[in-house]
Amino acid sequence: MSMTPNIKPDLFTRIVKFSPRFLLALLILPVLGGLISVLLPAFGWAPALSQYSFNLQGFSELWLTPGIGKMVILSIVTGLVSTLLAFVITLMILASFFNSPWLNRIQHLLSPILVIPHAAAAIAVGFLIAPSGMFSRLLSPWLTGWELAPNGMFPHDPYGISIILGLTLKELPFLLLMALGVLAQPELGKKLRQQHKVALNLGYCPMTAFFKVVLPSLYPLLKLPTLAVLAYASANVEMPLILGPNTPPTLAVAIMHWFSDVDLNLRIKASAGALLQLLVTGGLLALWVGGEKTIKHFFSHLLTNGEREYGGVFWQKLTGLITALVIGFIILALIGLVMWSVAGFWRFPAAMPDQFVLSHFQNAMMQMSEPLFNSLVIGVITTALAIILALLCLEAEQLTGKNVSRFISLVIYLPLLVPSIAFLFGLVWLQQLINNQATFTHVVFTHLLFVLPYVFLSLTSSYRRLDPRFAHVAASLGTTPGNVFLKVKLPQLFAPILIAAALGLAISFGQYLPTLLAGGGRISTITTEAVTLANGASRRTSAVYAIIQMALPLIGFILAWILPKYFFKSARR
Amino acid sequence: MPLTRCWQLNTRHRFGIVAFFVYTSLFIFVLCCAFWPNSVLASSAVSTSALSTSITAESIESKKLDENPNVYFYAWGGDAQINAYIQWAAKQVQAKYNINLHHVKLSDTSEAVSRVLAEKSAGNNHKGSVDLVWINGANFATMSEHSLLLPNWANKLPNFKYTDPKNNPAVTFDFGIPTKGMEAPWGQASLTFYYDNLAIDGSANNQLPTTLDQLLKWSAKHPGRFSYPKPPDYLGMSFLKYALVVLHEKSDEKIKAQLNQVANEQNSKLVLTPLWDFLNQLHPTLWRHGQHFMQSGAQMRRLVDDTELSLAFTFSAPEVPAAVQRFDLPKSIRSYAMEDGSLSNTHFVAIPYNASQPKAAQLVANFLLSPEAQAHKQTPSVWGDKSVIIPTTLSPEQQALFKTQTPHPSALPFNSIKRTLSEPHPSWVEAILTGWQSRYGVRLLEASNEHDS
Repeated sequence: MSMTPNIKPDLFTRIVKFSPRFLLALLILPVLGGLISVLLPAFGWAPALSQYSFNLQGFSELWLTPGIGKMVILSIVTGLVSTLLAFVITLMILASFFNSPWLNRIQHLLSPILVIPHAAAAIAVGFLIAPSGMFSRLLSPWLTGWELAPNGMFPHDPYGISIILGLTLKELPFLLLMALGVLAQPELGKKLRQQHKVALNLGYCPMTAFFKVVLPSLYPLLKLPTLAVLAYASANVEMPLILGPNTPPTLAVAIMHWFSDVDLNLRIKASAGALLQLLVTGGLLALWVGGEKTIKHFFSHLLTNGEREYGGVFWQKLTGLITALVIGFIILALIGLVMWSVAGFWRFPAAMPDQFVLSHFQNAMMQMSEPLFNSLVIGVITTALAIILALLCLEAEQLTGKNVSRFISLVIYLPLLVPSIAFLFGLVWLQQLINNQATFTHVVFTHLLFVLPYVFLSLTSSYRRLDPRFAHVAASLGTTPGNVFLKVKLPQLFAPILIAAALGLAISFGQYLPTLLAGGGRISTITTEAVTLANGASRRTSAVYAIIQMALPLIGFILAWILPKYFFKSARR
Repeated sequence: MPLTRCWQLNTRHRFGIVAFFVYTSLFIFVLCCAFWPNSVLASSAVSTSALSTSITAESIESKKLDENPNVYFYAWGGDAQINAYIQWAAKQVQAKYNINLHHVKLSDTSEAVSRVLAEKSAGNNHKGSVDLVWINGANFATMSEHSLLLPNWANKLPNFKYTDPKNNPAVTFDFGIPTKGMEAPWGQASLTFYYDNLAIDGSANNQLPTTLDQLLKWSAKHPGRFSYPKPPDYLGMSFLKYALVVLHEKSDEKIKAQLNQVANEQNSKLVLTPLWDFLNQLHPTLWRHGQHFMQSGAQMRRLVDDTELSLAFTFSAPEVPAAVQRFDLPKSIRSYAMEDGSLSNTHFVAIPYNASQPKAAQLVANFLLSPEAQAHKQTPSVWGDKSVIIPTTLSPEQQALFKTQTPHPSALPFNSIKRTLSEPHPSWVEAILTGWQSRYGVRLLEASNEHDS
């Protein structure tokens, strides 16, 4: 390929070089635009309601809302405690099982949880801890003497314990897999493992070795995912809606109710509430970073004090216990979910249903066609767009020869760090301003904001690991950059692309708030139906919806896992 | 094999792309499968020139309509049995009058109200999207107040005579507001209770409560086994209205009369005080100590299935046996009506002033009021909704249509509603709601914080 500088680069190269800017605009503009259009109504400027003056009425209404203080406290406590628990358990599991085959086994057991949408996970947890749930059925009546379900407190307990439990169980696998992803990076992973071994040889207990040697290098790479978890936990709506109290609910849930109220004037208050949510989440993020700095400042000397042992055996046993509990809890929840979906009469305290029937599936299937169709179409379109865009950006990175800057990596996390409840409302205002009929497009676009980061992150490491010599050889044989991309690089990336596609579909399937808001309630997906049904009439029907919700992404991942095996087998022959 | 070789050749070069297509086409295949049963989509309404605004007996006699109009019936769609009944009615009017009746399923009737209101403010006065709407109470009050309904047609329907309107105020007044021919009666609903007879076994200290007073005492003896959906849920509000009306049974006539007047600040305090006193006694004995309430009647039903609650209530009695048949409630469920009265109301169908097909909509309303349709609706296995027709106005053949079969053991026994209580004025809903929110809306965390400290 003899391309002289004065020849214009071909169309492909131009598209590729332009794509990172497009990506940035796509992520920044909606989030910023959304934030601005929530800021203006919060201060009273809402042309849609013919209010054109700036005032603090929204905030004073917010302030006068009964229970506003408790809403904020509930959001803060559930967000912080669940993230802290998930983070600490992740570290303990990593420390106990570092360099042990158990780490991979735990990963295999937990990774399916990652694809379970939050709503389905919440439904499953609810089945387990309810007064008539699996736990109390297993203990009744032989131990407890309960013939009727007891007057319990879960779910919907006032302290948010159910929410914390649900969030911790859901976020733990995410953080663990993120950490394992970091350790799977060839150079860094190898270096850390070697250093760990050296520490062991110097007589450090395995757990101490992990905390003193591995963690300081691991944490900086875990920081953004952890912050994303914290932001999500403090501002999500599915978990508190299904597991949380309602007198009053968490702040995010209350804002959602205000925003979807028939009384449009409540939207001013909702906007003010969204700003408060932003403040709460921002405060929590700052608190986390501050806490991290404090710990670093006060405890860094412990790294070099030479102490080898901090009761490692005890902690290791405790970790084993917690891990077993977590896994047992998840398995029990899933068993309960499956049993409910096929249960006939199942009176408390029987541990098993009286009979098994398929009628719940049949009835649900008859009504499910439209939500299923919507879920799949939105998921496929969104994921396809996200993958194309992510691939183009990564190609741009290779063509220009430099990695994306820190700024861009931060921007990619933007939709995950800014509470969606805050900017989504603004975004919906904007979308309605532009065109209030194209709900389907709005939903796809909004999903893209949340799918794109995951798809991008999932493709990045594989793309950067591509051996550049293949591309160089192809280029030296006269292949255009476009063909190098299509015929040399993409085939090598087959498996990662499928994984990214499955991940993208899973993320899109699980979106509740974006679908609800951007679709104006008119576009129903499996997830919106599942959340609506979760507190409704029939455990059996909501179990069916939760199972379908889990099955969709699982099918995607199984395909992503099987297809490359088949193709590589045939290609190797 | 040549086929596999060819496939390999193809895939070796482009297999990334090919595989991606395979992958996506698999999904498209799945979603096509999902789509086909749903492909019968409603075609858009073809508006024909509106003829006379009311139909007469003669025009009913005339055969099928020539133009095959589409009538969009906006009706709450939360109950499978009711939806099936509307489908049955659609088939009937198709055969009889050549009308395509489309059921637009609402989760809340106020959606239809705001739609018509929006159309009015947008100047759409003739081609509205709502032709017929299932309505009563506060929604009717709003629509009639804003003149959003076609007046003076329902009283001219040929089948209206079967309701004996002269002696039957239930079909000419909706929550105390005169209907003025703006809506045709469709059915009657009453607040009925259901219980788990394994949990309330009728033993000496576990007798079934049949009055509000007994309910309070029973709940005190069996704490946590009863509750009501959190207002503004319709069913929760209905329970509060039942309590309010019963509590005023023995009050001074002057105070009692206030229930049929518009609520204002002065009479609110007077009328509602007994209700708050009652709830202050009741709440500590409720499920979750009255600090957390369920969101809906549907959730309440699930809690009965979970055996957390032993007693619950509904406005649609037939949903109880239907739920037992679906396994959503245990077999030990029995229905009954309170002896001190059942809060009852009539539900209606109305035509918005800007309906595209007012004439065809009236034909549908007339059909819904026919002895045939009313009898079918009253059949427990179909819907079980009480007919608005007074049997004495019917011929013996028509009366025979209403004969009942053996009911399901969980269904409300026939004629068990001995005493009906009429709804208070719609404005009381807002007054009760505001008072409830400020008293009980945010109890929970305050109590728990005291507990913490």
